[in-house]
Amino acid sequence: MNHSRRPAGEAKVVFEKVSKTFKQKGEPLEVLTAVDLAVDEGEFVCLLGPSGCGKSTLLNIAGGFERPTAGSVKIDGAEVHEPNAKRVFVFQEYGIFPWASVWDNIVLGVRDQSKAEQHRIVEEVIELVGLSGFESSYPMELSGGMKQRVEVARALAVSPDVLFMDEPFGALDSLTRLTLRTELLRIWEERRPTVLFVTHDVDEAMQLAERIVVFSARPGRIAEIVSVDMPHPRDIGSPEYGVIKNRLYELLGVTHLI
Amino acid sequence: MIFSIIALVAAAAAFSLARRFTPHAQEWVLPICVATGLVALWDIACVASGSEIFPTPLDTFYAFGELIESQRLWGDIAASLFRVTWGFLLAAGIGIPLGLVVGWSTRTFRALNPIIQGLRPISPIAWIPIAILWFGIGDGAGVFLIFLSSFFPITVGTMAAVRNISLVHQRSAMNFGVKGFDLFRRVVLPAALPQIITSLRIALGVAWLVIVAAEMVGMDTGLGYLINDARNAGSRYDLVVATMIMIGLIGILLDFLIRRLEVFDEVRWGYTQR
Repeated sequence: MNHSRRPAGEAKVVFEKVSKTFKQKGEPLEVLTAVDLAVDEGEFVCLLGPSGCGKSTLLNIAGGFERPTAGSVKIDGAEVHEPNAKRVFVFQEYGIFPWASVWDNIVLGVRDQSKAEQHRIVEEVIELVGLSGFESSYPMELSGGMKQRVEVARALAVSPDVLFMDEPFGALDSLTRLTLRTELLRIWEERRPTVLFVTHDVDEAMQLAERIVVFSARPGRIAEIVSVDMPHPRDIGSPEYGVIKNRLYELLGVTHLI
Repeated sequence: MIFSIIALVAAAAAFSLARRFTPHAQEWVLPICVATGLVALWDIACVASGSEIFPTPLDTFYAFGELIESQRLWGDIAASLFRVTWGFLLAAGIGIPLGLVVGWSTRTFRALNPIIQGLRPISPIAWIPIAILWFGIGDGAGVFLIFLSSFFPITVGTMAAVRNISLVHQRSAMNFGVKGFDLFRRVVLPAALPQIITSLRIALGVAWLVIVAAEMVGMDTGLGYLINDARNAGSRYDLVVATMIMIGLIGILLDFLIRRLEVFDEVRWGYTQR
């Protein structure tokens, strides 16, 4: 499938004055105010902010699951109206189907391809996320970390050009979270999808992102965009790392000295 | 009488000793103690009250033998099971697809849910006169009544299951472009299946309760009719109680069979999580 070429110079994902207001008990509740953001092709961007700052809502709008109250999101120059199988969402709670085996979950996005092609793709992504040998297992037999691997594999099977990740590792223990971050980076460097990754974890954003979009609390707006110009693997003990981290904490209005 | 008192004391003694047994052994020993105790009390009560009509456990045991020898029991079991099976299958065959569609489509739900909820509280027993009017005395009326008593639990259970499908799973399906019949086959049905099986189980339980009542009032075969017949034919309460026990045993068997559906990998998640 050849996706429409975007106009030269325009970014992959463009948010233009995106606002969102929910109705809560009849009262309008503004969660996002005029968010402008451009994400380049192949870029890894983290959306960082306190709970309730609207960062997940922004991701849902970009994913086509919700409509903005005002403004628009364009991907490849075309406005997003509905979900698209080339731009895959990885959910915080497990979005994989508990009634289907690992294999049947991953094959979902490539179900219309030939059997041979399905086999090739599924085997490849299972290998990529380190799930070999678990093809016929059911999600309930897997640990939380492995379930998220299945979800990532399901997303990768369609060779997505954008990955929307909504605190995908939020429910995992800290060691598993670290491992999966490393693996996500490895996969990202290998395949180079555009990644929009929502998190409220400063270290997670620091370890993953090329740019960190810091949100202020409700109504969510962009406080600042912080570039992390450090090659992977990043030395979390380096002074440079500490400087950026201090800046992020400052923007979030908390101190890291406890 | 003496035997019963000894049995009662023995059961009580075993019950108090059981705390020393392994948990697995207790699962067997405790209910057997209670059952033995209850049967002993039943016997003691019969003798103590001096009742001429109410059967002792031993009378009931002999009545069981009489029923089996008379060959009549099997015919009545077959008649009851025939009505329950066909009524239930018909209800599942219509109720599951209907519940899937009504649960998924908000417009259909708005249109049909009030009617379904309005008909649901009418006891199937209240339909007996109409069932007889339409189908006469016999299997037709029985199948119709079982259909009614199974249809509502199955349809409502399936509807609720579909409306409970998690947003994340719905969005996953949308994200990967799963639509139309494929959506029902890959997402809606499997997501709802654990709860559908639970509603089938409830429906079968209700069906087994209703068929006995229906046969007592409006049919001339079946276990319900057998109870009525035994009472009318010279107050044979030993046969009445034996038949009641038979009804209970078959009910347990039916529930056991339908619970086999819960062990499949595709639905096991629905019973172990949360």
